[in-house]
Amino acid sequence: MKEYKEISVALTGNPNSGKTSLFNGLVGRYLKVGNWAGVTIEKYEGFLKYKGYKIKFVDLPGTYSLTAYSPEEVITRNYIIEEKPDIIVNVLDGANLERNLYLTTQLMELEVNSVIALNMYDEVKAQKIEIDFKQLEKLLGSHIVPTNSIKKEGFKSLLNHIIRVHSGSLTVAKNKLFFSGEVEKNIERLTDIIKCDQNLANKYHPRWLAIKLLESDQLTYAAAKERVIWLNIEKELLDIIGKYNDLFDSSPAIIIAEDRHSFIRGAVKETVQYPSEIKKTLTDHIDSVLINRVLGLPIFLCLMWLIFQFTFKLGEIPMFWIESFFSFLGKTVTNIVGQGLLQSVMVDGIIAGVGGVLVFLPNILLLFLALAFLEGTGYMARAAFVVDKVLHKVGLHGKSFIPMITGFGCSVPAFMSCRTLKNRADRITTMMIIPFMSCGAKLPVYILLIGAFFPIAYAGNILFAVYLFGIIVAILSAKFLKTVVFKGESEPFVMELPPYRMPTIKAVFIQMWIKAYMYIKKAGTIVLLASVIIWAACNFPVNREINKIHAERTHIVQYNQMLNDAQKEKQFIEFGRSDAHSAYYDTLQSLENIRLSKQLEYSFAGKTGKFIEPFIRPIGFDWRIGISLVAGLAAKEIVVATMGTIYSLGANDEGSSDLADKLRKDKKYDIATALSLMIFVLLYVPCLAATAVFHKEAGAWKWTGIYISYSITVAWVLSFAIYHISKLFSV
Amino acid sequence: MKMTELKAGDKAEIISFKARGEIGARLISMGLVKGTRFKLIRKAPLGDPIEIMLRGFFLSLRLSEAENILVEKIGHSHSS
Ligand SMILES: Nc1nc2c(ncn2[C@@H]2O[C@H](COP(=O)(O)OP(=O)(O)O)[C@@H](O)[C@H]2O)c(=O)[nH]1
Repeated sequence: MKEYKEISVALTGNPNSGKTSLFNGLVGRYLKVGNWAGVTIEKYEGFLKYKGYKIKFVDLPGTYSLTAYSPEEVITRNYIIEEKPDIIVNVLDGANLERNLYLTTQLMELEVNSVIALNMYDEVKAQKIEIDFKQLEKLLGSHIVPTNSIKKEGFKSLLNHIIRVHSGSLTVAKNKLFFSGEVEKNIERLTDIIKCDQNLANKYHPRWLAIKLLESDQLTYAAAKERVIWLNIEKELLDIIGKYNDLFDSSPAIIIAEDRHSFIRGAVKETVQYPSEIKKTLTDHIDSVLINRVLGLPIFLCLMWLIFQFTFKLGEIPMFWIESFFSFLGKTVTNIVGQGLLQSVMVDGIIAGVGGVLVFLPNILLLFLALAFLEGTGYMARAAFVVDKVLHKVGLHGKSFIPMITGFGCSVPAFMSCRTLKNRADRITTMMIIPFMSCGAKLPVYILLIGAFFPIAYAGNILFAVYLFGIIVAILSAKFLKTVVFKGESEPFVMELPPYRMPTIKAVFIQMWIKAYMYIKKAGTIVLLASVIIWAACNFPVNREINKIHAERTHIVQYNQMLNDAQKEKQFIEFGRSDAHSAYYDTLQSLENIRLSKQLEYSFAGKTGKFIEPFIRPIGFDWRIGISLVAGLAAKEIVVATMGTIYSLGANDEGSSDLADKLRKDKKYDIATALSLMIFVLLYVPCLAATAVFHKEAGAWKWTGIYISYSITVAWVLSFAIYHISKLFSV
Repeated sequence: MKMTELKAGDKAEIISFKARGEIGARLISMGLVKGTRFKLIRKAPLGDPIEIMLRGFFLSLRLSEAENILVEKIGHSHSS
């Protein structure tokens, strides 16, 4: 075996600089996706063997800067400071150098070993931009390699540079970025103070720390505050910051930033030649149609409608296949092992559980395919631009729109798509209100209840009203959460609208696959477990008595049938025989249904239903609805099936007219109950699959706790109101 | 004048800004510092946010964020 020498490389760069393409192109299939500790930002790692080296790459999140405000920035700088990768590859969008170099100046301050990948070099050439590489290298103190990540051009050269910079056979003098007179003096003085503390100076580059402190960077403050030397530092800092405030009505932070920008402007002026005439780009033309003041909104709504249709209508087909496959599998297993507990565990527990996870997969694949495509083209940022005003009014972000729309189909992919929201408050708030967007699985419940209690003529309007009600609750909740729970936290909308590009098919599919994989890996295990638990709750403890009575009754029926058959055979009556037989099977089936109903009543779920009856009586429900609501935690459509079981109708399919009949005739139920139940099902905790995904995405028990108690409270209060108001009207 | 007072097609230069905290940091890292020239490309269909072009790229920001930026108009070219 060959010994490989290891080099660790971290990729940094602005969003849309082509960093992901570069990373994927370099490591190919040796890609591992995880999460950065504590945040829902994906961590990509991979490696590559080249010339006797094993080069390990980590793709740091895309950032414009290294402040301490966004988690992406914090991850990036902590990784650089704490993990100390051997080489930093700074990916630049060569066609957009000025903005991209801002991050570079901050990497210079960290004095790390770096190689610059000047990406999108094809565009640089196409736009006839000329760059004096030698001079720019000198100014930035780093080697520059032109690359084209789509065509994988410049990769070899980049790798060679990495190896040679690492081994020290290739060097450029690091260039220090000097700040304007006064600031530079302040930095030096602070640096001297910091150097007195050996430990601090070893951990952080002293000059960098000094700059960050002057920038009032919260994280470095926290780190420095732990040291004795802080007393000296603080005195100096307060002095300096006070002076800037008084004299220049400014702050060192702003002056430092301005200096970085003037350095960049100077460097670019010296080394980059732009063509004298700047033509209108393709992006200008597309935007003047796609987001203009008249067409912007209609086009946006059309696209959202298309995504929705694509995800859920097209998704229905493979969903149907998956469902059929699992029901076929269930039947096969039943045939092999026969009726009984083992069959029930395997079919109703495990197969139904796995099926319940996989059935969402088509939706997830299609939704993320569509989203990856829109993101890849650059339209996503524009979509947020178009609707931000509306959402900002209720405290949300333009990007909250897509998760909300998706929520009408299914909360699971909706929660997952919240990752595009970078700010924690925006993301969690959006996630909290998604369940109020009535998902597809709740529809059968509405259909059943509307069918049972309302005249056909009103059906459509009532259904619409239920959906609308959900939206209103969502909006009010967002407003409430944003003003009470997340006071003032909100992501600024200072956002790049990247140039339109055609994403490569490969990149889109990789993104889609990563999401699907995460879903299967994470939700899969929990959802499966949860389904088995709910199954067990509905089936245990077993009541022997019920089974015994059932066995006796069945026996009698079977015995009678035998006698019947014997008689008929004697009389050679062929006619009506099949009739008699189907009546016989019906009797057996209804006995079995009675057994199931009694057993369900006896089970944990049944007991829970009865236990919660006092709590749900004020909103018009009895224990039978209680059981259905408990079982409905597994999946909302199960509410209907469970009611069927309780009414001894067998596990009924959606909107069955038998069940509707029974409900209508039941004296305990009326229109008020129906309305209250619809509202409750609309608002109470979504299914376990969704809750599991919520928990994973929110990342803390605290949020999951708030989410569950909030939705149940809202559901209860509003159902209570609706129930009593409609009672008033129906007298 | 404030950045929010500009119209689509106006070109302007930033003379100062008061934003602090996260928004300030965001504006700075996107290059919105004193002396930067930009063009207001358009307003969103509902009037907020706005889109500007600076240093060769497009940036959107809310009116509430643009409020803090004082600019001087230096010209106008037909809207994008
Ligand atoms: N023309 C060109 N396009 C590129 C290049 N590298 C990436 N892209 C495209 O630029 C867009 C953004 O790239 P991506 O890798 O997602 O950027 P990231 O946000 O930095 O990870 C995608 O549409 C890529 O296909 C390149 O070298 N040349």
